[in-house]
Amino acid sequence: MDFLRAIEQSSFSQWVVTSSSTFAFPGILLLHTIGMGMVVGINAGIDLRILGLAPALPIAPFEKFFPVLWVGFAMNTVTGLILLGADATTKIVNVDFWVKMIFIALALINLKMLRTRVFREPEKPFSSNVKLLAVTSLFFWLGAIVCGRLLAYVGPVSGLSD
Amino acid sequence: MDFMNLANLAHVHLLLNHFPTIGFGIALALFVVGLVSKSEEMKRSSLVIFFLIATIAIPTYVTGNASVEALCTGENHECPEGISEVTIRAHEDAALIGFAMMLLTGFVAWLGLWQFRFLNRTPSWNVGAVLLLGFLTFGLMARAANIGGEIRHPEIQVAPVPAPPSDGTLGGLARDMGGYVNSHEWLWPASEALHFVGLSMLLSVVLLLDLRILGMAKKLSFPALYQLLPLGMLGFLLNTVTGMSFFLATPGQYTQNGVFYWKLLFIVLGALNVLYFMLLEEPWKIGAGDNAPMRARFMAGSAIVVWIGVLFFGHMLPFLGNAF
Repeated sequence: MDFLRAIEQSSFSQWVVTSSSTFAFPGILLLHTIGMGMVVGINAGIDLRILGLAPALPIAPFEKFFPVLWVGFAMNTVTGLILLGADATTKIVNVDFWVKMIFIALALINLKMLRTRVFREPEKPFSSNVKLLAVTSLFFWLGAIVCGRLLAYVGPVSGLSD
Repeated sequence: MDFMNLANLAHVHLLLNHFPTIGFGIALALFVVGLVSKSEEMKRSSLVIFFLIATIAIPTYVTGNASVEALCTGENHECPEGISEVTIRAHEDAALIGFAMMLLTGFVAWLGLWQFRFLNRTPSWNVGAVLLLGFLTFGLMARAANIGGEIRHPEIQVAPVPAPPSDGTLGGLARDMGGYVNSHEWLWPASEALHFVGLSMLLSVVLLLDLRILGMAKKLSFPALYQLLPLGMLGFLLNTVTGMSFFLATPGQYTQNGVFYWKLLFIVLGALNVLYFMLLEEPWKIGAGDNAPMRARFMAGSAIVVWIGVLFFGHMLPFLGNAF
């Protein structure tokens, strides 16, 4: 906890929380939302295509969109760490935060499995196994979005631990 | 943002409120004439107007709240002599019902427009649905407009209007719905979570379609990607509904928030942008492996800018604006 408190009270974290600059908390959270749109947008597009939406679309070229997904993910790792550091002592004891982390971990494992099956060894038509992976992928990202948004509403309120 | 003061917004309401009635009536007439004369282009044009008017109905509805705030400036928001709060609330409720039906009509018209591209005609299911919803919406909007007119035109009132109850309990559908959101603590966070799901659906289509036109994953043809559009539109519809739940709960946070009007302006720009991809021949001709023409690239780039703009202004409501 001392370590977390030190991060929280670092001048950078304090700037994030207290600065009235648009580039501080509002801007960092904005980038986190845009990154979410990039990661989930691309991944959900692939999932829904596997599940039969837009059947005229060939699946192979979708692999070209992966860099967009990873740029979004990198953005969200960085902005997520900054947002966590700015509120470390309360976020780390928030169950909702850990549920979100689990959802993201599962979604990433899911994406890796899906990628191997769909792009490395393409099969046509998609097996029920692949379709199931597409459904679980949508579910995990949905869970991550909902838990992420709810972080603003549930769990301990920041500042109480001081 | 001085031009976004309440008095000006009241003017905007008085300007916009003619579209859902007169404009919608014209679209409906055009649709019927197109039907009778078997003109597919005429039907298609009227579907475009239905869709655009449904989009404009969003700023039309919300500037109504701004108008009341500009008009009823008493200590406890009392209205000036000769203006009945009862009539205002009746207008608000009639407008809310008309607005909800208009969103539905606009969505159905948009689906017809979307299918038109594949079929080269208005799908037959859509003709019946648009006619039914169109006449119903027109009736509801005419009713809302009629009550709205009575707010400032006592010469057309048929019966004297009752005074509001003295204990300040004047409710109505719009206020009751807002009160419901406020009194159920879980509803706001749930709407917020869904608002972000809708945002992801919309951005999914915006990114896949527009990045392709800009040169990524060129093996995907435009007609194939075009099949994805309803996913984005469903996301937009979900966000209009959840967004309205925020607005009904705390209208004052938005009516006096300049950032909110920028968001609405960008939404209208987004609606115009998608029409380029739905109506023009040049994006439709982008086949697998083709480079997109310059204008299509420009419109794809602007689509990304416009929708990130909508996200930006929505996100900044409490930061740059004065909400919460």
